Amino acid sequence: MAEGELAIPSSDKGLGLIGSLRAAAWSLVYVPARQLERESGWLSNWLPAWCPTSEAHLKEAEEKMLKCITSSYSKEHVLLSGGNQIWTLSFPQPLSQKTPLVLLHGFGGGVGLWALNFESLCQNRTVYAFDILGFGRSGRPQFEGDAEKAEMQFVQSIEDWRIALGLDHMILLGHNLGAFLASAYSLKYPSRVKSLILVEPWGFPERPDNAAEERPIPIWIKAVGAVLSPFNPLAGLRLAGPLGLSLVQRLRPDFKKKYASMFDDDTVTEYIYHCNAQSPSGETAFRTMTIPYGWARRPMLQRIDKMHPDIPITVIYGARSCIDGNSGSTIQSLRPNSYVKTVAIRGAGHYVFADQPEDFNQKVIEICDFVD
Amino acid sequence: MFDRERGWNLSFAGCGFLGVYHVGVSSCLQERAPYLITEAPKIYGASAGALNAAALVCGCCLAECCSDVMDVAKEARKRNLGPLHPSFNLVKILKNGLYRNLPENAHELASGKLCISLTRVSDGENVLVSEFSSKDELIQALICSAFVPIYCGIIPPTFRGVRYVDGGISNNLPEYELKNTITISPFSGESDICPRDNSTNFHELRITNTSIQFSLGNLYRLTRALFPPEPKVLGEMCQQGYNDALRFLKDNNLLNVPSPTGDLHLTQEKSVISSQCTSPECTISSDVKKAEEKKEVEKKSLLKQEIWPLDKRIMDKLPPTLCKVLQEACKEKAGLYNQITGLLPMRVASYMALPCTLPVESAYSFAMRLVDWFPDMPDDVRWMGSVAGAVYHQTRKRLFPHRPPVGGTLKKCLSLPAPFQHASTYLSPNTYSSMDLENWVFDFSSPLNSDALNSDLHIRKLLPSFNSDDSGVELSFSGDDMDSCSSEVNF
Repeated sequence: MAEGELAIPSSDKGLGLIGSLRAAAWSLVYVPARQLERESGWLSNWLPAWCPTSEAHLKEAEEKMLKCITSSYSKEHVLLSGGNQIWTLSFPQPLSQKTPLVLLHGFGGGVGLWALNFESLCQNRTVYAFDILGFGRSGRPQFEGDAEKAEMQFVQSIEDWRIALGLDHMILLGHNLGAFLASAYSLKYPSRVKSLILVEPWGFPERPDNAAEERPIPIWIKAVGAVLSPFNPLAGLRLAGPLGLSLVQRLRPDFKKKYASMFDDDTVTEYIYHCNAQSPSGETAFRTMTIPYGWARRPMLQRIDKMHPDIPITVIYGARSCIDGNSGSTIQSLRPNSYVKTVAIRGAGHYVFADQPEDFNQKVIEICDFVD
Repeated sequence: MFDRERGWNLSFAGCGFLGVYHVGVSSCLQERAPYLITEAPKIYGASAGALNAAALVCGCCLAECCSDVMDVAKEARKRNLGPLHPSFNLVKILKNGLYRNLPENAHELASGKLCISLTRVSDGENVLVSEFSSKDELIQALICSAFVPIYCGIIPPTFRGVRYVDGGISNNLPEYELKNTITISPFSGESDICPRDNSTNFHELRITNTSIQFSLGNLYRLTRALFPPEPKVLGEMCQQGYNDALRFLKDNNLLNVPSPTGDLHLTQEKSVISSQCTSPECTISSDVKKAEEKKEVEKKSLLKQEIWPLDKRIMDKLPPTLCKVLQEACKEKAGLYNQITGLLPMRVASYMALPCTLPVESAYSFAMRLVDWFPDMPDDVRWMGSVAGAVYHQTRKRLFPHRPPVGGTLKKCLSLPAPFQHASTYLSPNTYSSMDLENWVFDFSSPLNSDALNSDLHIRKLLPSFNSDDSGVELSFSGDDMDSCSSEVNF
């Protein structure tokens, strides 16, 4: 199922009624209205109204997210050699000779989520943030159905982006999926990375073998899990269509609170909604890289010992987060001769940089100053 | 990483019957780091969390609390419809339990330290209550905080004359955003002390501030919060709470040498059972732990000849008193009656007989509730009257938005129920007996019958909001009143 579902909607010509019905069901879940508009067929008559989102909506939401930033910055679509576009924010410090800091957002996010951090981080160092391929305002290509190849596509896009901007070295900071990709990139292109900062990294530990639960879970709940597992993680958001935005507001009111110092309206939830209601390309790639429930298919801890020993790694955790904080110490034991540090930030959950922005910025600046 | 100098708060999430998890956490804190409880300036709680917080603040015996929770859970499971059966009166059970367990000076101990999260019915806003003038008042606040609408009853209870329901509806984890609040929740998610499920899923949802990770374990817990699982599962949750709290203490280097004055009840019992549990420190160092665990398992298997319904591994770490309570609760009742009723045909028969037995049982329990309700009846009837009035006026306003102004007469004013904010001051339950119940009831249905005193009161209350420029009818309900009433009704 993981391999085929993106191909189905485009092949709905001449399949008959059942075929097109099936395609309609799939496309509701996997493909947003915008993409279908370009395809001919009866679906396009009513589908566009289903998810109230578009590139323009996302652009507007992002502009609202960034309007409070007073530092000067530029934003552009960087064209990669592979033909994809990467949406990039640059906070230049032309006088500074320091290694630039590159921020990689997490799953389902975008550059806008760093709104609370840009100002502090760009004080005396150039800062770049970009939407990962398949997320936010970057290009949304069709990823390979294989976990390794999809990962390589991500890594290659980061390398192409670096070449396009002409950076020699960088400090890579990644959150969640971004941390996984930053590590994968550092494994492949170690010479380009001066320091690696992993914030709440996803995909490091292996899925434990003793999956036998200590607590009995009723069969019907397991059945629910089995039914939901082939779907994309955020399929429900697109399935909800016009209710999607209020769904995000209902389920994640915490985002609004996290950014309350900046916005007192629903800017953040709108931004997150429009980031994810679009065509799920990066999301699908993420799902190919996972095994239930939420574990990485190719865990990073199996490979992290092959990382160049000169690259210092700092792992930043929120003390309250669900993601296990032990990865830091495991990385340390796997790289006994290299610099590995674990920092826990109290009172922060998974979105450390938004929960406790001051503490987070302070730590990151310290780490960067340690580099140069 | 944990800052002892800057102070801290504890915040217990509301969770229904999963409150047994809180008992496990509390027993660990009480045993291993009692200063966390005694020196905390504030302990917050909503719903079941508030009950647990009250028990902690008042120094109740946790083993007794645990056994009470287990009893309630078993009581709820006893019937065919579970806790939804009309004869299961949770509020009454809670009230009796609280009167029994809380000490006489509970309000003095709790005032200023215990913060109970409540949801005000009139506007759905969250209210944190921390001052209590008497034990009754404290218990009333706790009842309000645990009152899940419809599940516990229809008419919300009052605290100081204001209607409140379950705090979990507006804020299930008070003050979670403060950096130094230790948040405790039985749902795995972003809380300081919470279970860690076998999943690295970072998707979560927030239900009134409680973070709940998307995981199968949490789905199970959510279904079990109001419909309790078997005692064995509850026992495991208690143990899980203990373990999670212990892990939190270890991670933050908060472990204390167990003080002999930790919990009086626990230590008293400890001397009795000391032959069974050699050392409570068996979990501190992992090397020592394994050896000691082995020893204890051997010892216990020697000491205990009876059947052990819970996993031995589970029972090793919990304080002995809690162990005992859980073990008692897990024991199936022996005896011929229980054996017969446990048989499948008998259970099927009891379900088949439900249409016959249910009306009889409902009628009986309804009568019982009516008797209990009698003291509060005038107040509740008044409240329902104000709600009904608000609904009526709201609909009338919607249906006929532009009514021509009517000449406002005093008589027309009287036909309206008083704005319900006034209701409580106007009628305090202490000053009126059920003797003048009739007056109150008829006061709404036919105001012309009401006596001079009542109408006098009515007029005095209505006058401040009476504006001579407008029609009398629309006036006594100002915009705010309408809003508050409507939100209350939609609730």
